[in-house]
Amino acid sequence: MEMLGIRKLEITQQQAWDALNDPQVLKACIPGCDKFEPIGENQYSVGLAFKVGPVSAKFSGKVTLSDVQAPLRYTLTFEGQGGVAGFAKGLSNVELKPAADGAEGCEIHYSVQAQVGGKIAQIGQRLIDGAAKSTADDFFKRFEAQMQRR
Amino acid sequence: MYAFTYQRPATLADAVKLVASGARPLAGGQTLLASMKLRLSAPEQLADLSGVAELSGIRKSGNTLTIGAMSRHREVAGNADVKAAFPALAWLADHIGDRQVRAMGTIGGSVANNDPAACYPSAVLASGATIITTQREIAADDFFQGLFATALNEGELITAISFPIPKRAAYEKLRQKASNFPLVGVFVAQFDEGVRVAVTGAGNGVFRHAGLEQALSQHFTPESAASVKIHADDLNSDLHASVAYRANLIGVLTQRAVAKALG
Repeated sequence: MEMLGIRKLEITQQQAWDALNDPQVLKACIPGCDKFEPIGENQYSVGLAFKVGPVSAKFSGKVTLSDVQAPLRYTLTFEGQGGVAGFAKGLSNVELKPAADGAEGCEIHYSVQAQVGGKIAQIGQRLIDGAAKSTADDFFKRFEAQMQRR
Repeated sequence: MYAFTYQRPATLADAVKLVASGARPLAGGQTLLASMKLRLSAPEQLADLSGVAELSGIRKSGNTLTIGAMSRHREVAGNADVKAAFPALAWLADHIGDRQVRAMGTIGGSVANNDPAACYPSAVLASGATIITTQREIAADDFFQGLFATALNEGELITAISFPIPKRAAYEKLRQKASNFPLVGVFVAQFDEGVRVAVTGAGNGVFRHAGLEQALSQHFTPESAASVKIHADDLNSDLHASVAYRANLIGVLTQRAVAKALG
């Protein structure tokens, strides 16, 4: 599964960078996430309950940040086990840029490449793209709400 | 095998109570039971709705067809009123999945689940039907909210779906051969006020197509549908079909549906 996107954010690039490096913000914005704890430099232990339609599975795994260039970009690598449901792993490149038209705010450019395996992949193939898109939409909805609260 | 509690309430009031206390409602089980067998879903308590008399029955009154939520696809397909008043809906029900799915699957279950490739949501949305629940009535335009998401609250059950009967209508789909889900399905319904077109299987959930609706409201012909450019933005791609292929199918299936509706 591959996904690309650009979002306009109504906050400064530094604010966006700080938020994207704050485990509390990430935990609140990742749908179903109930754990996002540092376990080392740029490493986090993550737990999330994934639910789409009839399928619900608890994933636990690890997130690693690499190629970190504040306040411009990082690469986020993730891998998780969802018990009988299967596994997921992949990486996401996240880049922050000033707003294109010189307006206030900034832009976030992201790409995600993910692989899923196990039962979720066998039966859910036709749903994976849609679920990924919904999850990304949900993430940014929550992210914007979090930022407005600040 | 893992243990769970199975209950079969006889009244809607009991069913609502059970669901409020945490039971998962079980309609025809064509998605839920399969998910449970694969251990992708493990509810501790199931409330089987098949014994609730208030959820069954198909009635025609005036220009409205009201179908109880627990009506099986086979019942809708074979019902004399549906066949006479809304043959496109009977045809759709008669072509969902396979024989086993049609014997067990229900209209309420399909609509509540809102699988992005399910057949029924396209008919409900294209007809501008009303979803009647234990709490309120919801217009189809407000009900479907993308991938497996609906306007239903926790504990809210669909009791029936009420369809205004269109002047002309038809459903066309291309099956994905292994799963029998439509790769794309298009439901076209013509009313005095205009034409509504709903597409399933192509996006993140059933959606109406404004361009096709506008063109077909002016001229209800396959040529009119063919003149509409279908944008591929926001459509799904997977190993069965690319975005461009799905976009093309929307156009082709709409033309076929219009030709079929015109008889």
